[in-house]
Amino acid sequence: MRYDSITEAIGNTPLVRIDPAVHGLRNIDLYAKLEMLNPFGSVKDRPAWHMARPHLEAATSGDGTVVELSSGNTAKALALLAGMHGVKFKSVTNRMRVPEIKELLLLLGAEIEELPGRSECLDPTDTDDPLTHFHRALADPGSTYLHTDQYFNPRNVEAHAEGTGPEIVKDLDGRAPDWFIACVGTAGSSTGVARVLREHDPRVRVLGLVAHKSDFIPGIRTIDEVHQVGLFDPATYDTIESVTSDEAIDGMITLIRRCGLLSGPTGGAAYQGAVRQLRYADEELDGTGQRRTAVFIVCDRAESYLSYVRQRRPELLGRTGRGRSAAAVTDAEARAEARVIEVDDARRWFAEGDPRPLVVDLRSPHAYAALHIEGSLNIVDEVFEELLRGGLPFSKRTPVLLACPVGEKSLRYAAALSRMGHPDVRSLAGGIVAWRDAGAPLVRE
Amino acid sequence: MDAPLYLRPRVEPPLDALLTDRHFLHSLVDALGSPLNVLLPEAVAKNAASFRTVYDRHHLTGRVYFAHKANRSSALLRRLAAEDPAAVGVDVASVEELRHALGCGFTGDRIMATGAKDAAFLWLAARVGATVNLDSPGELERLSGLVRAHGLGRVDVLVRLSGFEYASGREGAGTRLLSRRSRFGTPLRDTEALLSALERNAETVEFVGAAYHLDTTGLEEKARALEQCVLFMDECRARGLSPRSLDIGGGFGVGYVAEAEEWERWTTALTEAVLGVRPPLTWRGHGYGLRNEGGTVRGAAALYAAHRPTAGPGYLDELLSLPAPVLGRPPATLLLEHLHDLHIEPGRSLVDQCGLSLARVLDVRPADPDSGQYLVHLAMNAGDMSLEEHGVLVDPVLLPRGGTTAAGDGKPVGVHLMGNLCLEGDLITRRLVYLPRLPVAGDLLAFVNTAGYAMDFHAHRAQRQPVARTVAVERRGESWNWCPDEDYWPITPVGEQPDEV
Ligand SMILES: Cc1ncc(COP(=O)(O)O)c(C=O)c1O
Repeated sequence: MRYDSITEAIGNTPLVRIDPAVHGLRNIDLYAKLEMLNPFGSVKDRPAWHMARPHLEAATSGDGTVVELSSGNTAKALALLAGMHGVKFKSVTNRMRVPEIKELLLLLGAEIEELPGRSECLDPTDTDDPLTHFHRALADPGSTYLHTDQYFNPRNVEAHAEGTGPEIVKDLDGRAPDWFIACVGTAGSSTGVARVLREHDPRVRVLGLVAHKSDFIPGIRTIDEVHQVGLFDPATYDTIESVTSDEAIDGMITLIRRCGLLSGPTGGAAYQGAVRQLRYADEELDGTGQRRTAVFIVCDRAESYLSYVRQRRPELLGRTGRGRSAAAVTDAEARAEARVIEVDDARRWFAEGDPRPLVVDLRSPHAYAALHIEGSLNIVDEVFEELLRGGLPFSKRTPVLLACPVGEKSLRYAAALSRMGHPDVRSLAGGIVAWRDAGAPLVRE
Repeated sequence: MDAPLYLRPRVEPPLDALLTDRHFLHSLVDALGSPLNVLLPEAVAKNAASFRTVYDRHHLTGRVYFAHKANRSSALLRRLAAEDPAAVGVDVASVEELRHALGCGFTGDRIMATGAKDAAFLWLAARVGATVNLDSPGELERLSGLVRAHGLGRVDVLVRLSGFEYASGREGAGTRLLSRRSRFGTPLRDTEALLSALERNAETVEFVGAAYHLDTTGLEEKARALEQCVLFMDECRARGLSPRSLDIGGGFGVGYVAEAEEWERWTTALTEAVLGVRPPLTWRGHGYGLRNEGGTVRGAAALYAAHRPTAGPGYLDELLSLPAPVLGRPPATLLLEHLHDLHIEPGRSLVDQCGLSLARVLDVRPADPDSGQYLVHLAMNAGDMSLEEHGVLVDPVLLPRGGTTAAGDGKPVGVHLMGNLCLEGDLITRRLVYLPRLPVAGDLLAFVNTAGYAMDFHAHRAQRQPVARTVAVERRGESWNWCPDEDYWPITPVGEQPDEV
């Protein structure tokens, strides 16, 4: 395979059979269309290129900005495509809720504009929403924005009608599958593929999956939100069902751990939604001797969704503690094992101690710079925690006074240090707050 | 008829017990007329305590200032005045509110003066030692002038900031979080003039900290504003000023509807109704801001998000726990480490579950022959209970009058709630409301949780209709006692004279 441009690598993704031992369907062959293997990592590479290509090839002067309302994959593809053509890319969204995706977009050179939250007090005079403002800005005659408009642009659908759909038919030896299952975001992939499949066989059944209304699955919409999508036509789907983020993660884990498919949550949602739906059909086929085929789309890859998973299923990413850790000290243990010292005694200790104690301030450097105990050393708690894993960071001959805002964290660390054998470590009772309230001096850097 | 689309209210103790005592509520309306507002002063103290629990969890000090604008009751204010002075204060936005707060027992040092201020408001605030939440450098100059001219003591001031989206934080290029534009506060990028004015007027004002209030449900926007204020206060310290309080305003929200599914079902149905795939859910097909453009829904629903997974103290807790964009530490840690007090100004969320509005049913008749819907006329108007004005959608609770036999067939019924003004537009809500059965004249409808803004914000004497009277109620053993709002004092059981103590 030899290409002149990465854009030539878009499309022609594999169709991979899911092992029946995994999904348990006896009479249906289930295939995954691996859109995650597109060069920019998702199903959106196709429409992004198809929509942007005419603009980008015309943008010779290198000015102008491609804009899109996108929280993820379309933005990723457009940012890369724009970069290749020397123009900028801006993503406008209020759905950028997955930090890795945001950071990845920044790495790609995208500009991100996040729309504000809803008004808490209803303002009846506020008739237009932030999106209306966005469209108004685009319509401004002086603007050099190239809006790809994925929710309304027929080229989004076309990209799949010309690519994704025919590829599926070709890989099924010229036949359409009996079922096609896709998550609905812009409705581009489901509409485009469904159109082509139905041309081959009008009996194909199309299942559209949306996110459960109160839930959030990155990249797909809820049943209300799809109605705001220009490309969405309810007639495209025989059934529309919702899936929860829990189901999406379940599906994702199955695809990853049992099928070797490094799918993201929407691929998981599509798999889980497909199996849920097909189970009934499968039972009806029992004993008829007939075989059927179903295809679902794996939209993108898992890597960008680690914090999404961590938030919802921390146990899947469970990190077991290594080494000693202050986190291992319970509140009761900290109270029992740590020595505390009141502000007045601490001041005397500084004045008269021999050797003088080392004061360690566990707050953030920013707070430390603003005000701290003169002569103290700043080691922010997170770093201190790491230090302790390696062993005692101070000589046992140096007495240590630990200080945090109210004397709670420092108590824990004092207990941990004592356990590690430090003979004279104390926690400042009431912390820097008590110090200030007692009128003891604090200095700025 | 379609399955009834209920939006049943969230009702918690002690409001739930009050609602089951319909004889008591009927007797109140018999005596005092319809509409009638009923308040539970104990509930406001309970809410304040819930906010304090969040402070304690994060080891934070500072005050919960009740945003008086949410309700004009004396009982609520007096009940809060009886709370720990170090923990609870009041935020007043007019000279009348300030006078009221003083009259209800708040000393000046527990009062935060916000909003647009005329000379009388500024003078009285300065006179009684309230903290003035300054909106602009001009306001600072006017306040200083009054202090000098009238030989007053130094006044504690906070500066209210805005325009956080343009702040040049260390967020790095690339991300811009847009904010709703606010007409209040001084934009962060214009604070130089403000700071030099504070320094120039140091003999008249004592700069104690920064403030913001953002009208948004967005936690990220608020976390960013909070952090920007911490950074700002840090710059102030570098200039030799010593601010220590950060006032993050209100807007913590209330959940009005009990069940998420009911809210989801209704809002989905609204979209479908706007698209024309199901019958309208509202008077004359009103779309609450949604419109149908060629089969695609455009616009945003102008509705208060009436079901919320977290609101009030829970929302504050979330905000304090979110990582801040520049420094990375959660807001609670930032405040604690920088030794700042946290002030909040909850309005609506502090009076959550504190009151209800009662209206008597005047007349019930079919809307049109075949809709199966009815028009229910109430002795109340949209001004008495401005649910529509605030975009709040929630069902009233039907309190049948004892002894009356059920009208209709005792089955759920869709009704339009009409007010008592002679105006086509006087609807209590534009939503088609489902009641478990058809009411009859004389029944009461109880609108729950109206104490936050809905109760008396827009009430007026148009058409010489009576404005709701307000009473405070308190549980005593198995029954309820009541007194006029203005007669409530937290030192005596409700309904008894202070000298009985
Ligand atoms: C991760 C992910 N999955 C699924 C989809 C849905 O694809 P489509 O909108 O083309 O139907 C999208 C698009 O938004 C997506 O980003």
